[in-house]
Amino acid sequence: MRISKIAWGEFLHTLFLEAPTGILLFIIWELFKENPDTQLIWSMVIAMTVMFVVQLWVARKVMANSYGVIYTIASRLRIQLGDHLQKLSLGFYKKRDPGDLASVVLQDVNNFEHIFVHTVQSIFSSIIGTLILSIFLFILDWKLALILLAAIPIAFLFVYIATLVAEKFSEKHIASRNETSSRFIEYIQGIRHLKAFNQTGIKFSILEKAFNDLRKNSIAVEVIPGPFIITGFVFFELFFLLMIYIGIGRIAEATITTPTIIAFLIVGYRLYQPLKLLMIDYALLRYMNVSMVRIVELLKAPLQDIGKDITPKNYNIEFKNVTFSYVDRVILNNMSFIIPEKGLTALVGASGSGKTTIANLIARFWDVEKGEVKIGGENVKDMAPQTVYSLISEVFQDVSLFDDTIYNNIKIGNPNATKEEILKVAEKAQVLEFLDMLSDGINTKVGEAGSHLSGGQKQRISIARAMLKDAPIVLLDEATASLDPENEIYIQQAIQELVKEKTVVVIAHKLQTIRNADKIIVLENGNVSEVGKHNHLIKNNGLYARYWNTQQNISGWKLKSN
Amino acid sequence: MTTKKKQKSGIARLLEIAGERKGLLILSGILSVIHVVLSMVPYVLIYYIIEKLLGNKVSGSDINTYLIWAFAAVVLSFVLMYASGVASHIAAFNILYKLRCKIASKLGKLPMGYIGSRSSGALKKILSDDVERIEAFIAHGIPDTIKAIVLPITILTYLFVVDWRLALVSFIPLILLSFIIPFMMGSKRAREVTAEWHTSLEEMNAGIVEYVRAIPVMKIFGQSASSFSKYSETVKRYDIIIIEWVKISSKVWGTIMSYLNNAVLPVLALGLYLYFQNGVSSSVLFLFLLLGAGYVRPLFALTALSTQITMIDQGVKRMDEILFEVEEQKDGSLPFSPSDFSVNFKNVEFSYTAEIDVLKDISFSVPQGSITALVGPSGSGKSTAAQLVARFYDVKSGSINIGGININNLKTEDLMQNIGFVFQDSMMFYQSFYDNILMGMDKTKAEVIAAAKIARCHDFITELPNGYDTLFGGEGIHLSGGEQQRIQLARVVLKDAPILILDEATAFSDPENEHLIMEAFGEIIKDKTVIIIAHRLSTIAEVDQIVVFNNGIVEGKGTHSHLLQNCKLYNKMWNAHTRAKEFELINIEESITKA
Repeated sequence: MRISKIAWGEFLHTLFLEAPTGILLFIIWELFKENPDTQLIWSMVIAMTVMFVVQLWVARKVMANSYGVIYTIASRLRIQLGDHLQKLSLGFYKKRDPGDLASVVLQDVNNFEHIFVHTVQSIFSSIIGTLILSIFLFILDWKLALILLAAIPIAFLFVYIATLVAEKFSEKHIASRNETSSRFIEYIQGIRHLKAFNQTGIKFSILEKAFNDLRKNSIAVEVIPGPFIITGFVFFELFFLLMIYIGIGRIAEATITTPTIIAFLIVGYRLYQPLKLLMIDYALLRYMNVSMVRIVELLKAPLQDIGKDITPKNYNIEFKNVTFSYVDRVILNNMSFIIPEKGLTALVGASGSGKTTIANLIARFWDVEKGEVKIGGENVKDMAPQTVYSLISEVFQDVSLFDDTIYNNIKIGNPNATKEEILKVAEKAQVLEFLDMLSDGINTKVGEAGSHLSGGQKQRISIARAMLKDAPIVLLDEATASLDPENEIYIQQAIQELVKEKTVVVIAHKLQTIRNADKIIVLENGNVSEVGKHNHLIKNNGLYARYWNTQQNISGWKLKSN
Repeated sequence: MTTKKKQKSGIARLLEIAGERKGLLILSGILSVIHVVLSMVPYVLIYYIIEKLLGNKVSGSDINTYLIWAFAAVVLSFVLMYASGVASHIAAFNILYKLRCKIASKLGKLPMGYIGSRSSGALKKILSDDVERIEAFIAHGIPDTIKAIVLPITILTYLFVVDWRLALVSFIPLILLSFIIPFMMGSKRAREVTAEWHTSLEEMNAGIVEYVRAIPVMKIFGQSASSFSKYSETVKRYDIIIIEWVKISSKVWGTIMSYLNNAVLPVLALGLYLYFQNGVSSSVLFLFLLLGAGYVRPLFALTALSTQITMIDQGVKRMDEILFEVEEQKDGSLPFSPSDFSVNFKNVEFSYTAEIDVLKDISFSVPQGSITALVGPSGSGKSTAAQLVARFYDVKSGSINIGGININNLKTEDLMQNIGFVFQDSMMFYQSFYDNILMGMDKTKAEVIAAAKIARCHDFITELPNGYDTLFGGEGIHLSGGEQQRIQLARVVLKDAPILILDEATAFSDPENEHLIMEAFGEIIKDKTVIIIAHRLSTIAEVDQIVVFNNGIVEGKGTHSHLLQNCKLYNKMWNAHTRAKEFELINIEESITKA
């Protein structure tokens, strides 16, 4: 165990830390003898010098080792948290602010590593050191020793009270810190919108409020537990003085010798020194504990059922009496339909009618509340999420690009792909089309969330990525929502490529583009309103026909001058 | 803000920051000094008792009085220590609050280019972590320093009075440490590693923030924290660098601890020697053993601070880079009083980076109360041109005038007041729907609701659990892209600015509501000067003017019919548009039969 390696090192170091006190005591003891052995005393001084030199070496080794181990544990923890986050259902993400989750991995793990690093040594030395000194004092005079030691539980009772008080404020403080981070990231990401309304800086009141709350909570967490800790300190002093009082009294009774009293005077005050440090560290440790609770809570967030690695026989997708809702809002209400494999199926409906939810359920981002979602006859709930993901390529509504090169952004589709394969999909997805305009071609960095590129360019990269994965099921979400005509043609050509021999589900808004789909499923308020091919639906004269007519009208709709 | 003044750095800069709350900090310092002096009382008491004990002059009542006084002194000492800490922390956190506000305000005054070039994770690290670290200097560093100066002086003065020879010798560890520490910590390597540490922490911040925000993509493409290189690599790199830093710092710390722990050695050796020579009494020897090394302790806290200062200083540098080095947009001084709201581009040139010009020579004018559409292939610069009107960026050369006044000479706030901007991407903030529409404008509730009705979001807002007071981003409260766009539209309706800029404004996704939204558009553009970036050419075929962008230049301008005849690119685009309208997704069998 790595921790035990730290423990042995720190134990050794503590022995070195306590050695000078021991030697000093020995010398004082010797001095009080009738005929002090000067040679012995001088050899003690030399021993102390030698130990000093050895300690120079031991201290740095032990520290490097302990710190190293702690930081490495923290790094592993970050990876572990990241891996865990990836396995949580999307439902979890709807409940938690992503900024807050990021700050568990960053801030809370930081708290853990920094506090642990700073306190580990003083914890060891105060516990072991106090123990050694107490034993020594006990041997000298157990009654006086007992008085000194009696202060410890009382002082720590106050520290305990302080931490109980502090805990409440620590939670508030940590929440406030994370809130500040989340609001600030939001501020940066929406800064254009805020500029447009003259709402930058402290005029953006939710950010200013977060700063101000952080200010108040920071002061509270530092100031409020203080009096309790101070009271604890005072008890140390009180018992030390009490010990003197009783000790001096006993000289008169001759039940104690002068050297013993002097040893208690000199060493006794030292006994409390590391404990006072520990009290401060203890408060810090409790603060760290709040972060640890957040970390553990995240690690314990339940994963979706593991499921098995089942390969479905075909890629028909079936929804059977599916009900799904979050919070109070029912999104899908006892919904049933079939999406045939190797065909184009379109989902049509008003925003909020459940189209995107259907895509998310197929991909097992969420699990249904009631009913079943099946791929090739297998319930996706019985399949491992990783297996379901492996069957699916998705072009997301909000194109998610990373602050990396175009090449690497495509490569995410299949990390094992060769350069040729990547260039090939880049060509098919019409990415090559715009590379000439960029300074470094395919190695151009796209900026955070692709901020250096236009909407159409980002979408084409996203399609190339989906193509590279070459999965049997393709989900396209609002893929052509906001494009200029030229881009739209490019993207539709790109999608055409993707559709070959795949089971394709399109969440469409321009009905023109899906007119020839094999199946159109029209949704309304979480229910299937109608199903069929274009001509059939037009004849049906239902919701689809109404949409169709409206869109035909919009196409003819024109912005006119005043 | 002073940009020209030469920026201080290091401790001078930290003191300048701390100076913001001088009064409180001076108070904290004074309290700290009294605390230190009083904290010496127990030691003096011990010495006094030892002397009496050895002189066999112990008198119970004497000692009792001393004990009571000592207790009072110690209690007072702790109370003052606490009060000093309270004062310094209040000062520190108020200063931090001010700094954070300054950073946020400054970022708001920078051209978008700077923010685009930094990741939000890295900026967040500066605002939350780097600023937070300053607290250690103000709240702990300043009182600790005072303690570290006052305590040795008090002790040494006392010791000199008792025995000057031993007092001199007790200096030795102090002198040695003051040579060794700066030597170890000031090394070039140490500074390099600290800088690298900051960079790698920023990168890790950026990587993790990106990862968490893109979890669905991670899932579908089978990437996890260990396999997504921006996550795993930055975490590993941070680990490597921090361990490098640990190696350096543990050398320093190991040395300091060992010195402190054995600081009594020189005094012990000389003390014993003098004692054996009958040069000093045993009580003096004990006093020195007790105090002769004690004053080194607070110096320990000081050295702890000095290792931190390198860290703090690097963070402050990063903060100051934002506060002082990055040049903010120059605000004009003219109030907004143009004769009309016409917009005029005159030989505008612009580039995001030095290498490629996005706009090369753009000239066109939009008369007051008319509609102009900007069209062109993606990447041609039309969105950029629109953003320049609101000064999200500043032109490289040429000028943009509103009502004949160069926008660079206008107060930015006034300029923004007069422009309504609908962006490609919508953005919702973590606040109530009401505040999301209001956006800090001086409007009544009735006006907000009226705007929401025009933008067709009133109905879905009233269906939310708390209506307009529902918190966006609260549990389960999320909107579709189309709904978010409509909220954005409501903001612009509410603003009712004379100039409207609509970027990709027809990207609404809901077929039924799209129609309604287009009607809303028709309502709000009345009597406005409108610049629209359009993709569906049929929508804008009847506007007053169409400006065709291509590769940063104006390829043609005029009405639809004029351009169809005179502009090849426009003609091509129009054809493409008509084709796109007929374009359909066809499954494979059908494409085979067609072939």
